[in-house]
Amino acid sequence: RRRRAARCGAGGGGGGSPGPSPLTGSPPQALVDDTEDVSLDFGSEEELALRKAKIRHPLATFFHLFFRVSAIITYLFCDWFSNSFVACFVTILLLLSFDFWSVKNVTGRLLVGLRWWNQIDEDGKSHWVFEAKRVPTIAASTEAEARIFWLGLIICPVIWTMFFFSTLFSLKLKWLALVIAGISLQTANLYGYIHCKVGGQKSISRLTSRFFVTADVPKSKYRVGPSATAHETYQPASRCWFCSFWVLVPKITPGRAILVFQ
Amino acid sequence: MRDLKAVGKKFVHVMYPKKSSALLRDWDLWGPLVLCVSLALMLQGGSADSKDDGGPQFAEVFVIIWFGAVVITLNSKLLGGTISFFQSLCVLGYCVLPLTVAMLVCRLVLLAGSGTVSFIIRLIVVVAMFGWSTLASTAFLADSQPPNRKALVVYPIFLFYFVISWMILTFTPQ
Repeated sequence: RRRRAARCGAGGGGGGSPGPSPLTGSPPQALVDDTEDVSLDFGSEEELALRKAKIRHPLATFFHLFFRVSAIITYLFCDWFSNSFVACFVTILLLLSFDFWSVKNVTGRLLVGLRWWNQIDEDGKSHWVFEAKRVPTIAASTEAEARIFWLGLIICPVIWTMFFFSTLFSLKLKWLALVIAGISLQTANLYGYIHCKVGGQKSISRLTSRFFVTADVPKSKYRVGPSATAHETYQPASRCWFCSFWVLVPKITPGRAILVFQ
Repeated sequence: MRDLKAVGKKFVHVMYPKKSSALLRDWDLWGPLVLCVSLALMLQGGSADSKDDGGPQFAEVFVIIWFGAVVITLNSKLLGGTISFFQSLCVLGYCVLPLTVAMLVCRLVLLAGSGTVSFIIRLIVVVAMFGWSTLASTAFLADSQPPNRKALVVYPIFLFYFVISWMILTFTPQ
């Protein structure tokens, strides 16, 4: 029955594409003899298109840049839009807040596979956790996306710092509160992601032995949880100071995508 | 959405303050932001000598609330408190909710007239809400301090909400 299941599964999943599975390079029957699991190849057109596309998450990329750039544009041209200081202030503040939320929770995870959050455990100690994605997935990000992400992340705080100095020296002090808020929100994201990235490269060798250690720590609710794909695994990018244990997302072991259709 | 529900739950917690660690554990600053912006919006355009469109007062309220909250947090951390920086900011920000309600009520009362009676009503409402805010935030924050330091922590919180209540009470529309 397993053999029949393998053939049906492979045939159905392959969408009629004949020949050996691209994952293993050998015919599907050979797999079934060795293991109990059925390795499926999608091989479908959507996946090939996904692999070839330069930007795999168009919406995330768009929103990553949209809120930041529109906050800057609104700040520069607010006199054209409206006479009211308050309306401009509130609009820019809302744009900055949405940008902070979307970059921290959505676009960082999708575009570069990094995430960071703060977590407080039962005895009241606060930990900052920084994680970087270990295994590149099929829908992982491309170079173009990563470049857009980092450019957007770095250039905007620099622009807000320039606004800070221009506001200070032109003595338009009522905007100072807004500029400081903008700088702090954008720099927070920048710092968080740089910490994830830099930490990941330093501590890779220490982590391989601990890969299977899982700690049952309830994750902060203010992060969007890991998506349910089987391929995602995260490694902790750094051991934060207050951490006494690793936080790892327990997931399916890498190397074999195991999906059973039936 | 999950974040919105968390914010809503915290608002409810503030209105019925019982010592629970749920408010402290999952901090977020959305609620304080919304409250700060709405309070600043309601407080703007209030005093007689503002010639422009309420710009400085809006930013003033903003700065007072956030800077005041940061200073109180630093104070409580220097006194040896166990609560984390953002948790304390979160609690202080959420406990501005009763004062925002008081501001709303004051604005409505002022629509009806600005005589002595309305002043007395506003005074009672503001004092009640000020007491509620202070008690709510003290219920959450003072427990993280050693017992002989509680007054040192409560005093700045008292002052902070007093200043906000003063701004609310002395608000006169143009």
